Amino acid sequence: MTAQPRWVRIVGALAVVSSAATVWLALWVTPPDKVQGNLVRLVYLHPPIAWVAIYLAFGLAALSSLLYLWRRTRSLFWDRVAAAAVEVGVVFNALTLVTGSIWGRPSWGVWWTWDARLTSTALLLILFLGYMALRRVPADPEIRARRCAVAALVAFVDVPIVHFSVVWWQTLHQGATVLNANLSPTIHGSMAWTLLLGFIAFTLMFVWMVAVRYRVEVLSDRIGDEELEVSLAERWAEGDQAEPVAAGTGNGNGTSGPGQPFVAEPSGSGR
Amino acid sequence: MRYVDAGYIIALSVLFVYALSLIVRRRRGERALLVAERDLEAPVPGVTVSGVPVPEGASGADEQLGSR
Amino acid sequence: MLRDALLVAGKDLRIEARSRVALWQVLPFAMLSLVLFAFALGPGQLALRQAAPGLFWLAVLFSTVLAVQRSVAIESGEGTRDGLRLSGIDPAGIFLGKASAVFLELLVLQAVLWAGVTVLFGVHLRTPWLALVASVLATIGLASAGVIYGALSAGLRVRETLLPLLVLPVVAPVLLAGSRAWAAAIGGSVASGVSWLRILGPFAVAYLVLGLVLYGPLQEAS
Repeated sequence: MTAQPRWVRIVGALAVVSSAATVWLALWVTPPDKVQGNLVRLVYLHPPIAWVAIYLAFGLAALSSLLYLWRRTRSLFWDRVAAAAVEVGVVFNALTLVTGSIWGRPSWGVWWTWDARLTSTALLLILFLGYMALRRVPADPEIRARRCAVAALVAFVDVPIVHFSVVWWQTLHQGATVLNANLSPTIHGSMAWTLLLGFIAFTLMFVWMVAVRYRVEVLSDRIGDEELEVSLAERWAEGDQAEPVAAGTGNGNGTSGPGQPFVAEPSGSGR
Repeated sequence: MRYVDAGYIIALSVLFVYALSLIVRRRRGERALLVAERDLEAPVPGVTVSGVPVPEGASGADEQLGSR
Repeated sequence: MLRDALLVAGKDLRIEARSRVALWQVLPFAMLSLVLFAFALGPGQLALRQAAPGLFWLAVLFSTVLAVQRSVAIESGEGTRDGLRLSGIDPAGIFLGKASAVFLELLVLQAVLWAGVTVLFGVHLRTPWLALVASVLATIGLASAGVIYGALSAGLRVRETLLPLLVLPVVAPVLLAGSRAWAAAIGGSVASGVSWLRILGPFAVAYLVLGLVLYGPLQEAS
């Protein structure tokens, strides 16, 4: 069983460096915008986070789920990647909403508005959370993987439909949204570079987080297997004894598994 | 600008805390796995014939469970 | 496959006809929610009339969850699902059958619910055909998505709390488009109403196809 590969460490280090550089550029080096003033500095933060949450994370989750379901590439690897991507995606998604809200308050005077993009993102968050809830239900890893993969795909198909319906909802009732007007300020020079760096930094951060989260998933599955083996072994040993006494091993930590199909009644018990 | 500061502080601290939690979970997982593997190779805390339970971790017992 | 679907649909509907769960529980629940909406929004006619299409579809959505729970519960007995799986019936047919049964139940529910809304909230449909088409399309989508998630959560003890959390976000566009379409049907503005059909249609098709394709793999995972 290999430890975390080296490239993960390298990506992590790069992520830290590029994030730090982005923050420094965003907060101190770049000039304030003519229209938005210092508020524009949130542009270096919010769109990259949104991009990671919506396209990278969710896209990866959907792709991995598809690859898991497809027989030729079926492997628990994809299931674990999907789970990792979703969890990281939830974090980034929540941050997208928070940073968007913080930007919105001084811009439009409200903490929330039923703008098309915010609404879609909020719904996306709930879809992600549903996946995580489903994943927490204890089950055999392959069964859980299949269930979650289907859930991810079914949700994924919904995303464009949600997007279109919400956009129509807004435009038919209020004209162009305020958010669109402010979201794409024309940016030049150092601002553009900073934005690009921001995208890179958060993407690296995402990759590192998914890699570590994947490892955590592998470990938890392995531990579940090992603990099952330990308790099985203990039960076998019990069966070998002339007078079995309930050993009361601590398997009460809720590890899942398909039950213990091999546990027979202790032999020679004379009951 | 207070909003900008708040935005950066919140975003960066949440990401930092989450990253930290991932590292902690990984480390905890690796340690737990080592313990579980060790348990598998150690003698089983089983029972003697007379029914008196043997304290867990007793070494030198012959019941080496074998191989994985 | 179609024959299998008819078989399964017939079975589900016959069970419903005998047990009348939908009739005595789901339908009253839907009517109850209308009354609760009035309590929540206040008795003023204006607010209720404006909210009527949305409230109607909200009630339909919640009832869909109940109807799907019921559809799944039919096979929740010991080994029933395995029996169905081993019977050799085409899984796509099972999906189609179950979804059709839920579809029919929901349509009947909507008819009664609409009568309730007309009386309780004081609204009238000026373009009934638009409302009907919207309902049919929307219900196809609701039934399909519902049965997919029903199968997904079929064996789980936490199904009661998990199913709503999974289904409702996915069918949110149906709520949105359905409400706007019915609002247009009430107001008589056909053009804008028809544009919402362009959401309901693809949704229905997408989830019908998804169900037909994914029900097999899902069955093996429950």
